[in-house]
Amino acid sequence: MRRLVIVIAITALAGAALAAWGGVAAAGEAGPRVAFAADQAKLPPLPADIKARKRLNIAVKCDAPPFGYIGARSQHAGFDVEVARWFSRFAFGKSNRVTFTCVTTPAREPALTTGRVDMVIATFTYTADRDTRIDFSRAYYKATGRLLVTKDSSVGSISDLAGKTVVTTSGSIYDRWMKNCLKDTKVLVTESFTNALIAFRDGRADSLMWDDTVLLGIAVTDRNYKLTSDLFLPLPYGIGIKQGNTALKAWIDSRLNLMKKRDLFFPILKNTVPPGQVAPFSKNILRPKQGFGYSQGDLTTQCP
Amino acid sequence: MNLAVAFDWSFLTENGDELLAGLRRTLEVSAIAIAGAFFIGLVLGAARAHRVPVVSQVAAVYVEIIRNTPILVQIFFLFFGLPQIGIVLEPFTVAWVAVTIWGGAFNTENFRAGFEAVPHRFREAGFALGFGRLTTFLNVTLPIGGRIALPSSINTYISVVKNTSLMYVISYPELTTTALNINALTLQTVETFTTLAVTYLIIVWTMSASIRVVERRLALPEDAR
Amino acid sequence: MSFLPDWAEPVLRYMLEVGLKGTLQIAAISLVGSTLIGITLGTLLTIKFLPTRALIRFYIEVWRGLPILVTLFLVFFLLPVLSPRFEFDALISASIALTLWGSAQVAEATRGAVGSIPKEQHEAASALGFGWLGRHAFVILPQALRRLLPPLVSLLVNIIQNSTIAQVIGAPELLESAERQVERLAAPTPIGIGEIKAFPIYATVMVIFFLISFPLTRLAAYLEKRLT
Repeated sequence: MRRLVIVIAITALAGAALAAWGGVAAAGEAGPRVAFAADQAKLPPLPADIKARKRLNIAVKCDAPPFGYIGARSQHAGFDVEVARWFSRFAFGKSNRVTFTCVTTPAREPALTTGRVDMVIATFTYTADRDTRIDFSRAYYKATGRLLVTKDSSVGSISDLAGKTVVTTSGSIYDRWMKNCLKDTKVLVTESFTNALIAFRDGRADSLMWDDTVLLGIAVTDRNYKLTSDLFLPLPYGIGIKQGNTALKAWIDSRLNLMKKRDLFFPILKNTVPPGQVAPFSKNILRPKQGFGYSQGDLTTQCP
Repeated sequence: MNLAVAFDWSFLTENGDELLAGLRRTLEVSAIAIAGAFFIGLVLGAARAHRVPVVSQVAAVYVEIIRNTPILVQIFFLFFGLPQIGIVLEPFTVAWVAVTIWGGAFNTENFRAGFEAVPHRFREAGFALGFGRLTTFLNVTLPIGGRIALPSSINTYISVVKNTSLMYVISYPELTTTALNINALTLQTVETFTTLAVTYLIIVWTMSASIRVVERRLALPEDAR
Repeated sequence: MSFLPDWAEPVLRYMLEVGLKGTLQIAAISLVGSTLIGITLGTLLTIKFLPTRALIRFYIEVWRGLPILVTLFLVFFLLPVLSPRFEFDALISASIALTLWGSAQVAEATRGAVGSIPKEQHEAASALGFGWLGRHAFVILPQALRRLLPPLVSLLVNIIQNSTIAQVIGAPELLESAERQVERLAAPTPIGIGEIKAFPIYATVMVIFFLISFPLTRLAAYLEKRLT
């Protein structure tokens, strides 16, 4: 009997203490605890307009797995979306203080120019040309150009492309680069990656040129196709910011560096790609001892 | 904002060949589809108007399905859906098949209405002259009903031309797709879209002007009162 | 819904909750916009004042003449270049494009409907002391609206179907929601199921549109018949 009283008393005390702690936390103006508060103390502060709004507005892809897509519970998901959720944790302590807007490839720059969104995290390849109209954060994902070919293809590298047809997406850096550098190659362009893949599957092109990340997934799942061994056009993704918003750029760059330092990209990667592909993909992300930046100059005129 | 000054005319000389190739494909697909829609409309419209068993019912189902679903979804279905059941069509094939099927459905209704508007006594006159059913159709119903149906069928052909722009979603390089591809590389947005819009307006306005000419030329003698 | 495969339930839910909702939003905005602007322009077109007539004619011929997809590109890509004030999100851009096209259709129909009201009605209204505005607002347009009803129902069908062009610029409507799900399912697990399900998903989109459009086209045909 006495034991029972003690148990009840301890439980009640613990409950009261928990309630008081919760009450204090709820009463505090700071709201939920900001992620890595100590790490962030010396970093540039969040711009005042976003702080006042208490929400981030971020544009992501909604049809481009594994970077940005709509999950089975109708939620936004993917590598880029997870980066956005970390930004929300850094800014407001919770992963859900972010409003996502879906963007298509040609709509990414317009989304920034009038401040419809604070930033674009949407497989946004840095190019010198784009950099003249918008700002980019530091590179956060390293994509590289690869060629997808059929298993018995005579194409072994980009030097075999003379007289062949290569399909890629319209306006992409591959489109520009091939038109500048591979004059003997016929370039077929499509409005979406899906259409490029269909054109390649239907045999309308000898090869498909695109980001390794996406092509690797196809080569792994379909035994009829393979990637050639050469890598070309290192094309890191950056986060798009409105031109001249240096305060936001400083905040984003410093948080990306923090994510690098704390190895936060790796768990995101593990959650977004099939287990067998974690190893090859892990070379493409920022890690404590692994970094990369943008190539200098206009890549589209740098021919092999 | 002065658009005349902002327009860089070298855009046309630099991209003219590609745009013309796109225009040629637009006209090519349109021509095939207009011919196909004319044929489908004529046959199925006659079958509907004369209540030919089976054909008439099948035509009715075809017309209702096409008219009550968006053509863009039909294109998606043909291009992205059909390969799953083993039917793989080239973008060019999808382009002309989609607008032909669509135009054919609307034209069936145009011709049906035209043939049904032919007064019954005209057909009876044909029979009285000893014509068979087919001869009566070819010599009486078709020339009169065809003329009645002409303005609405030309409107359908205009829509067919406009709908070829939807082939953008399957990346078939007709006029619209070509223009957007050029825009993606040059970023000459004002030039690209002005050229695109003006080209379509010229085609469409020419076609609608032809309705008035044709209406006058082919007016039924009775209406000229 | 146990007769459906596992992958179908979330796909269908997303298509109905996000896609269908977007389609209906675009359709509602465009229908209201087209009707208001179209009836106003169509009525003004009956005034025998050359400059306004020429301007309205031009408006009608341009927006009826252009493929709606091209109009959408003008709104979404060209307008923001002309002025940042004219920058709208994908859903609003699609609604604007459909309103430009729809209002041209309504204006043309209104001109015909107003013109078909006998001259005596105008004269009688004038005799009762109505000015131009009162005459049209209280006497002519109410009668013309009866004749406008069938074309307005047809317009609604066309707007709903043409709202699918919003897919091209990524607005959340039915076709776009379907496309997002096709893309997800095609990705390997854990994201999708590594299979292309375009056939059943786009077939479902066709069925949904048919279920909405068919009763409306029947209604338009019925109204048309009752009037004549």
